[in-house]
Amino acid sequence: MAKREPSLFLRLLTLVSSVLLVGGLFLSVLAWYSARHAADEAYDRLLLGAAYQIADAIVIQEGKPEIELPVSAFELLGLSDRDRIFYHVLDPAGRTLTGYDSLQFPSTPRPIERATIVDARYGGEDVRLARVARRFDDPQMRGDAVVLVAQTVGARWTLAQNLTLRSLLPVGIMGIIAIGSMIFAVRRALAPIGRLETAIRNRDPLDLTLIDVTAPRELQPFVGEINHFIERLRGRVDLMQQFIADAAHQLRTPLTALNGQVDLLSNDQVSEDGRKHLDRIRVRVAQLSRLANQLLSHAMIAHREQAVATSLVDLTELTRRALGDAVPDTLERDILVTFQSSNGRLEVRGDPVNLAEAIKNLIDNAVRHGAPTAIAVRLYREANCAVIDIADDGPGIPADRWAQVSSRFGAASFDAKGSGLGLSIAAAVAAAHRGGLSFKTASDGKFVAELRFPLEGRS
Amino acid sequence: MDRFIFCASLAIGLGLADPGYTQTSTRFVAPKAETEKLSIHAATDLYALEPLVQDFQQISPGTTIEVVEYVTNDLFAAAAKACTEGRSLGDIYLSSSVDQLIKLANDGCARRVEGANLAQADRRANWRDEVFGFTYEPIVMVYNRNAVPSSEIPRTHIELAELLRREASRYRGKVGTYDIRISGIGYLLAFNDARQTTTTYGRLLESLGRADVVVRCCTSEILDEVSAGRLLIGYNMLGSYAYERIRRGEPLGLIMPADYTLVLSRGAMVPTNSSQIGMAARFVDYLVSPRGQSVGQAQSFFFGPDGSAPPGIDGGDIVASGIARPIVLAPALLAVQDKARRQRFLEDWTKSMIQPK
Repeated sequence: MAKREPSLFLRLLTLVSSVLLVGGLFLSVLAWYSARHAADEAYDRLLLGAAYQIADAIVIQEGKPEIELPVSAFELLGLSDRDRIFYHVLDPAGRTLTGYDSLQFPSTPRPIERATIVDARYGGEDVRLARVARRFDDPQMRGDAVVLVAQTVGARWTLAQNLTLRSLLPVGIMGIIAIGSMIFAVRRALAPIGRLETAIRNRDPLDLTLIDVTAPRELQPFVGEINHFIERLRGRVDLMQQFIADAAHQLRTPLTALNGQVDLLSNDQVSEDGRKHLDRIRVRVAQLSRLANQLLSHAMIAHREQAVATSLVDLTELTRRALGDAVPDTLERDILVTFQSSNGRLEVRGDPVNLAEAIKNLIDNAVRHGAPTAIAVRLYREANCAVIDIADDGPGIPADRWAQVSSRFGAASFDAKGSGLGLSIAAAVAAAHRGGLSFKTASDGKFVAELRFPLEGRS
Repeated sequence: MDRFIFCASLAIGLGLADPGYTQTSTRFVAPKAETEKLSIHAATDLYALEPLVQDFQQISPGTTIEVVEYVTNDLFAAAAKACTEGRSLGDIYLSSSVDQLIKLANDGCARRVEGANLAQADRRANWRDEVFGFTYEPIVMVYNRNAVPSSEIPRTHIELAELLRREASRYRGKVGTYDIRISGIGYLLAFNDARQTTTTYGRLLESLGRADVVVRCCTSEILDEVSAGRLLIGYNMLGSYAYERIRRGEPLGLIMPADYTLVLSRGAMVPTNSSQIGMAARFVDYLVSPRGQSVGQAQSFFFGPDGSAPPGIDGGDIVASGIARPIVLAPALLAVQDKARRQRFLEDWTKSMIQPK
């Protein structure tokens, strides 16, 4: 047994989803970084603005540096209203003017840079630290006054999170749309496989015609391969039928000769014992030629089924003729054969030869094996079907073998009287005409074989 | 009632508190069996705090509450020192000098607290979930109704300056205000005055200085003197305290200046080293809860957050008319607390206000 593989649909879904997921993750990381960057940029401006304002408020009065910390700088920083603010202002000599003494710039910035911003830690929290230097060239005071302003990063994180979420929302929606349309597209794309499957599944197991389903280019090789296989199989079957027909045909000639030879052995020429044997031989030869005839007609039916165009057939006429053909003129016993047909034409579309063959086989069967005294053939209409039933007062076929004998090429029994193939032929013809062969026991105890064909022209 | 209130006025040596700060400690013993203690360090008059404390004990009957009273600057100094040294000093700080609370919170001395009502607090009355504003108190001028004729009642800041100039002799030594060198709230109010209108503030300062203004540590001391007639006008008084006097029948008049009226929101915070964080958070939550607010408005602070003035106060709705200038709990208050700036401001103030004797 081949290992069970996941369905194409599942494979495609998994693959595309994983690609989308990886892409989504990548985009998320990208969005987060760019959001962090954007948030930093926005709040860094505020931080620098505040630092510049503070630096601007440094004045040298009578040779002494002084600062009146501008409230507006803090209002600016207060725009991120949940963050702590630390600041440290140093005069050009490096002495603290005001603020948090312990707030220091972590590295020595290049003197050329007036404004620098770095990430740092202060007061147990992550902060963004801005350093702005202001050059004084007063005669009494020369050098850089330095303003350090630090702010915790809460507002930046919040902004970055919001930005990320906002940019991820369309990514998420896009992902859902992508997966949805992918499911739709895959289902559409795989639909021909389903159609092909249905077409193959609904075929009659014996239908050896080629598959005629439109299939996309990718599936053409499969369809071609299946059809190729069917062709080969059909060739084999044809060959086999041909062989059977040939064999049966070949058998008939020696059998006829044998029959003639047996007939030549007239009664007088053999002893009493010998005559008994001779009679048995005669019976056996008759059975053999009947079997050969049936094989031949079976092969013919199979051939006609595929090769002969159908036509409208009037069942009443056909049945009457079949009766005439099937009931031998001379019988060892008296059998009453009746035929009763309903009014009006009952027409079916089919092959008249095969249909006649089926009816003949059934009647022949009844004559040969069943009816001690009477055979009643009825043709009537039931719903949209034409029914031919053949009742006889013989022992019939045991009910447990009904299914077996009417199966098409089923294990037809070759009992002593060689009956099975006749029923098989009838069943095969019925099936080929979308009809069926069934058996039943009538209310008066008679055994009934029933052929049923859909009527032409009615649905 | 089996409650008894233990009152002790102490100058020094009270438990954990540092010597040198003037404090009063009051105990509100738990109405039921005591299960925990809460220590409130407050720069708020006890009469205003008492109804809130007692109402809170209805909700939490197992809590004994100790209220230690300070002047704003002393509370700040003690709290800052305790914070720097990592010591525990009380479980809740209440102060009208909110700039000091913001400074403490900025320096990492406040603990983030959470509560159902705190979550709904106005953003402007909540900084970092650490400092909460729980009152709405206009800053007013008061006058002695018996001694100041109605024609002379100043309606604006500039009118006050002009009155003092016009009637210099009559008002000399008869106007009182905060000594902002020892009162944090006085400093905060003066700072905001200076920011409102530079010219008016300058003229007012000059007039007050010329009128030999009397400076005191606290609103209550000035109110005492105005109602006794020793002073005629009190400037930059807390409206809630003044109204409480009027309600008691003291001969005081209250003016909400018509040019602008500063509005203060008293602040509460839980220090990092509090030993009763859960209970402290519950008390702060109670302060901003509808129940705490209605008790406060009925018995302690009188003015509602919608700007509604209590009965008997004219001046109308300062919020609706747009003259209210709320002092918002925001990092901008850090500039007020900058030591260089404060020093300069105090120097300027002292130069103008305090005449060398």
